Amino acid sequence: MINFRQIFLTIACLVLVWVTPARAAPAAAASRAALLTSFCATDGDKAAALGQLVEVVVSPNAQDRAWAGRIVDAIRNGALVCGTGGHVTIQGSPALDAVSLQPSVAATADSPYVPSIVMMRKLAVASAEMDLFAPQQDTRSAAARQVDKFFALLDPAIVARAIKQERDPDTATVLTLALAKRGLNSNVQADRLAAIKAVAEVPSETARTALANFATQDSVRSDPVVLAAVHRAILRMDTWLSFGKVFSILFSGLSYAGVLLLTALGLSIVFGLMGVINLAHGEFIMIGAYSTYLVERLMQAHLPGLFDAYIFVAIPVAFVICAVCGMLLEFFVIRFLYRRPLETLLATWAISIALIKLIQVLFGSQNVEFITPGFLNGGMQVAPGFFVTFNRIFAIVLALLIFAATFALIRFTKLGLLMRATTQLRDTARCLGVPAERVDRIAFGLGAGLAGLAGVVLTQIASVNPSMGTGFVVDSFMVVVLGGAGSLAGTVVSSLALGEINQFIEPFYGAVAAKVVVLLMIVLIIQKRPQGLFALKTRV
Amino acid sequence: MSSSATRWLGQTVEIGMVPVLVLVALYLPFAYFVIPESNALHLSLFGINLIGQIMCFALLALALDLVWGYAGILSLGHGIFFGIGGYLMAIYLLNGAYAETHVLPDFLQYMGASDFPAAWKIFSRLDVTILLTMVVTTLVAGVFGFVTFRSRINGVYLSIITQALTYALMLLLFINDVGFGGNNGMTGFTSLAGYKLAGVTTQIGLAVCSCLLLVAAYVGARYLARSSFGRALIAVRDDEARMRFLGYRTHTLKLFAWCLSAVLAALAGMLYVPQVGIVNPTIVSPELSVEIAVWVAIGGRGTLIGAIVGAIVVNGLKFWLTAQLPAVWPFILAGVTLVIVVYFSNGVWGSFKAAGSESKGGRQ
Repeated sequence: MINFRQIFLTIACLVLVWVTPARAAPAAAASRAALLTSFCATDGDKAAALGQLVEVVVSPNAQDRAWAGRIVDAIRNGALVCGTGGHVTIQGSPALDAVSLQPSVAATADSPYVPSIVMMRKLAVASAEMDLFAPQQDTRSAAARQVDKFFALLDPAIVARAIKQERDPDTATVLTLALAKRGLNSNVQADRLAAIKAVAEVPSETARTALANFATQDSVRSDPVVLAAVHRAILRMDTWLSFGKVFSILFSGLSYAGVLLLTALGLSIVFGLMGVINLAHGEFIMIGAYSTYLVERLMQAHLPGLFDAYIFVAIPVAFVICAVCGMLLEFFVIRFLYRRPLETLLATWAISIALIKLIQVLFGSQNVEFITPGFLNGGMQVAPGFFVTFNRIFAIVLALLIFAATFALIRFTKLGLLMRATTQLRDTARCLGVPAERVDRIAFGLGAGLAGLAGVVLTQIASVNPSMGTGFVVDSFMVVVLGGAGSLAGTVVSSLALGEINQFIEPFYGAVAAKVVVLLMIVLIIQKRPQGLFALKTRV
Repeated sequence: MSSSATRWLGQTVEIGMVPVLVLVALYLPFAYFVIPESNALHLSLFGINLIGQIMCFALLALALDLVWGYAGILSLGHGIFFGIGGYLMAIYLLNGAYAETHVLPDFLQYMGASDFPAAWKIFSRLDVTILLTMVVTTLVAGVFGFVTFRSRINGVYLSIITQALTYALMLLLFINDVGFGGNNGMTGFTSLAGYKLAGVTTQIGLAVCSCLLLVAAYVGARYLARSSFGRALIAVRDDEARMRFLGYRTHTLKLFAWCLSAVLAALAGMLYVPQVGIVNPTIVSPELSVEIAVWVAIGGRGTLIGAIVGAIVVNGLKFWLTAQLPAVWPFILAGVTLVIVVYFSNGVWGSFKAAGSESKGGRQ
């Protein structure tokens, strides 16, 4: 049987929510008492009173919020005692006056208000709805699941508002679906339209699927008003979602390009300067990552207060360690293989397998776990369907900063000048007194150090194990070959292009196929233009 | 040792390798069937199988030496051709297994197929398989070589491109939907040309075949190297621009050597897979392709025998040491490679020969 009073009050509440800003003055004692009387009176409108209690949750007054929560808990526990003359108390030790929450004494003749089973369910939902505005993420998630369980009893206005201010996308999705289930399942057109509108406000893949399924129902197809509303809502969602998808792809392409840039930067300098194919480049990346691991462990043990800053400490440490390793490698092996690039290739390959085995022996071949620093945890939902994680933003920002620093070094310092001169015309530079061998050593150390920095960044976004470097060697060589050895601009452009193309192909054919396609593309381009896109000198 | 004595010794070893390998081939069945097990000279089936595998690797190294030592093309992607031979042989063996057991391989069942793909059914006879493998390999190598050599890509860039191509092929083969068994590869072979694959005679026969094919390839390659074609190749390796100016079609010369080398590698793959009993994408991994170059470099590039000796020694050591001291092998290999690459620029045998010859060795 339809309770018109209930419907009228619900719609009144909806209107109140949509039209007036929620600026409730602290609920006066009188209104509190009036609320409580509804519970105690035998013919009181308990549902409406409950609705008003939940409304109090969105009031800016903290005292009111706490009071409402207290009352709901009391009713659920059967602790609300209705006294004569409108005097309501809460059982307990000490017993409290329900209006003011001050200690009071209940008359022994008072009987507690025992809510019916239906009322208990409504109370559970009301309690959950109130928890939707709690500051703790876990409370909100649990509350959302509770609301979803009793979707038929929820208050759409409250839940819609909760969705709007929810930061966690999973919780928001659960609430959206609950809202959709409630409104769409009702037989009242107004409810359905309100539900469609509410769902359309929070576009997401799941919501869109729910609406699309809803549109196929016979009861909907026979109702033109609702059908039109559903189609409009779906259209609106699709626009939002496609925006979100495009941005998502662009962003992940950018972060992949950032990783490629970091790994290829050092290689570009070394390859352009000395023509050395360094197959141990991946291992320098790996050493950088393991240096970060050491720094993390040390700081955890000795400086736990500054633990979150370990990644900033690891940056210079990894750079120095890898630069030193690179310079040692150059001094002991590479400088004897001058002008013998094919031998250098084999020698660096030998070094790489030795390094991998060494790290395996020292650290084990398992993946190494990293604790993400606090400020890199999580992410934010920039647009529907577009969620950015902070560690990827960090990777991109760091890649740009490192590139800027390298560019400044090469372009504006004396060392950079000497390196450029030795790259372009080695013998002339030597005639002019440039110590080419020393420049080689420093450049090799710089290249190895940059690889180490790439390793530092990769600890946050990729898995770290002794053979992680082998996956990056071929990719970074491709970036360097395509961009033009020795050219920084070429490295940036080619890593950006390759990163974006890879991410655009991936949704259609998968990650592996995307990689294969990109590799084949590069091979074809190299056939036509062997020196790369931005070549400092033709080297065929 | 005087240079003429060194030269004499060098030539003896090089020519003598042929009867030595033939003797090894003959010794294998003898060591298994005739010599009793208690004797130290007896070879178990495992040992014979190992020798067979090493012979396949030696053939692979020989193939690479043909293009690297004689034409100057360092290919770090010869695993591609090795893999083509291996996978096509595996398809033939699967056909045989299906004819016997009427049970489809697992990966085909997971893909929902009820029968072999039509293209696979062509590989139902051994002679057809061998012929088709050679054709396919020549085509693949020919296309790549034609495009690459015409664009005058060589040296370091070519090496990187071949690495990238073998990496791409490995990634492609890892995808299950491509239909070559995914990362599990293909296995479950039962028979080869009517003989039971796991049978003793078949395994010994395969090992003997590997030895004999190696001998034949070595003899043929030596003849080729001494012919005018071989001389032209060496000249191309040393100074391609000069040869082009003299009117030689260098890209055609290189293409011919490249395709021949690819076919040899594919044949090595075809013999390797039945002896190992499985083929999976690691056969085309970039690491294996670089290792082939390491065997040739250690043994001596440009001297065919160096490639064979390098492959046999390195792989023999590897099989022996990874069983005894698995943690130490990478360091030993790295150390040996470094020492040889830095100090013996032409590998062990190449340095030996260079010590014997009066003229300076050619450029690399």
